[in-house]
Amino acid sequence: MDLAVTESPLEREDFLVIDIERFQGPLDLLLHLISQQDIDVFEIPVARITRQFLTAIEGIGARDLDNAGEFIEMAAGLIHIKAQMLLPRHGETEDEDPRAELVRRLLEYEQIRDVSQLLASAEAERARRFGKGFLEPRPRPPMEETLLETTWEDVFGAALLVTPPDPVIRTHLVATRPVAMEDKMNLILGTLDRVRRIEFSRLVRPFKSRTHGVMTLLAGLELTRRRRVKLRQVEMFSELWLYQGVEGSAEGSEDKGS
Amino acid sequence: MNPTQIVEAVLFASEAPLNAEEIARADEALNEDLIEEAVQELNAAYSESERAFEIRELGEGYQLLTRADFAPYLERFDTIPRPSRLSGPALETLAIIAYRQPIGRIEMEYIRGVSSSGVIHTLQDRGLIDVVARGEGLGRPLLYGTNQRFLEHFGFRSLDDLPRPEELPVILRDRTPLEDLERSEPVEAAESVKAEVDQPEPGVDDVLSGEAGDPAGD
Repeated sequence: MDLAVTESPLEREDFLVIDIERFQGPLDLLLHLISQQDIDVFEIPVARITRQFLTAIEGIGARDLDNAGEFIEMAAGLIHIKAQMLLPRHGETEDEDPRAELVRRLLEYEQIRDVSQLLASAEAERARRFGKGFLEPRPRPPMEETLLETTWEDVFGAALLVTPPDPVIRTHLVATRPVAMEDKMNLILGTLDRVRRIEFSRLVRPFKSRTHGVMTLLAGLELTRRRRVKLRQVEMFSELWLYQGVEGSAEGSEDKGS
Repeated sequence: MNPTQIVEAVLFASEAPLNAEEIARADEALNEDLIEEAVQELNAAYSESERAFEIRELGEGYQLLTRADFAPYLERFDTIPRPSRLSGPALETLAIIAYRQPIGRIEMEYIRGVSSSGVIHTLQDRGLIDVVARGEGLGRPLLYGTNQRFLEHFGFRSLDDLPRPEELPVILRDRTPLEDLERSEPVEAAESVKAEVDQPEPGVDDVLSGEAGDPAGD
């Protein structure tokens, strides 16, 4: 609470200077008066509070008629309560303090005020977190419409000036096989003309390069496919034997070429 | 692509909170439990790797938001008008509505001790409260309640984020009994009125069978 209330050293009760505009309404003002003077809300000295209340609202009447009504209504209510308290009570209703409803409203209002403070801090806390879209996208420079000042002739002229790109000359490198399969096939057949069978390793041995080995194998396979030669191997990685064709004698008649 | 990544992608691309149902539209394999798990997993990963953002639950929705610690840096950019803070009377009125909804204007004014129609209008304009029902009494007064925007504005997951009823004995002592709430009828489709009441609007059948509430009932 701010220094909205200044107390006169002379007469504590009645000289409260209150800036009425600071209050949300009569309940706010009443709560303020009560808390300022450490009054037990259940034991409100109605006469004293009413007096202070009236003093506080004296100034507002002309200035702000809208709000004035609410304050004046509360003042009337306070006076009504005071009057009820002065009247003798009727027997059984003794436990019903005329102030009870006011107390209930004050407590309730006080809590509402607390909750609204809590809401305010929740709101402030929430405002510290930003979602996407917090920053506005940078505005794009507006696209201006410009008149085309060229003629078709200019456009065609410009087009003619463009030199077409050189056609890309693709070169394909074709590697010639240094060893011809024909030669190897002839080698195999020639050998098998002389012997019934020959080891693969012996066919390859005179040549150094691996290519010769590969081509010899391919030639052997090809000849097998043509049924001119048979391949035999006892087990994996053992020596590969090449035999004369299925019918060694028939091979000449099968293939007119060789 | 696991569910967690899908949820992350959807939340990353969204500028507003999305609820589980909306997120689930991204993939047939997604459901509410998976999404909740994914959110927890992502938040754990974010805090582990000290990301500047995290997934927050606002109302029923999830949204990727920067951590509050980074506010000072972001506040230097003023390219976007931030939602203006609510006034004291507006907060007071919202507090009352939050605890006592659905509640009519007269009751709010009694609690606050001041007239409140202006404030109610402001709150409606800002989309923080809706008319949720009509009261039984004279003139069938409009009854107001808070909505999803309210939760988003304050960063609440639900109304449970407000102080518990036990901590506020007076406000809730005479909270409108539940039966009374149920008795209050939903608003007919009037303009400027967004009915958000569970009760279905009476249909033609209800009218014909005479079971719908008689408007002139009281």
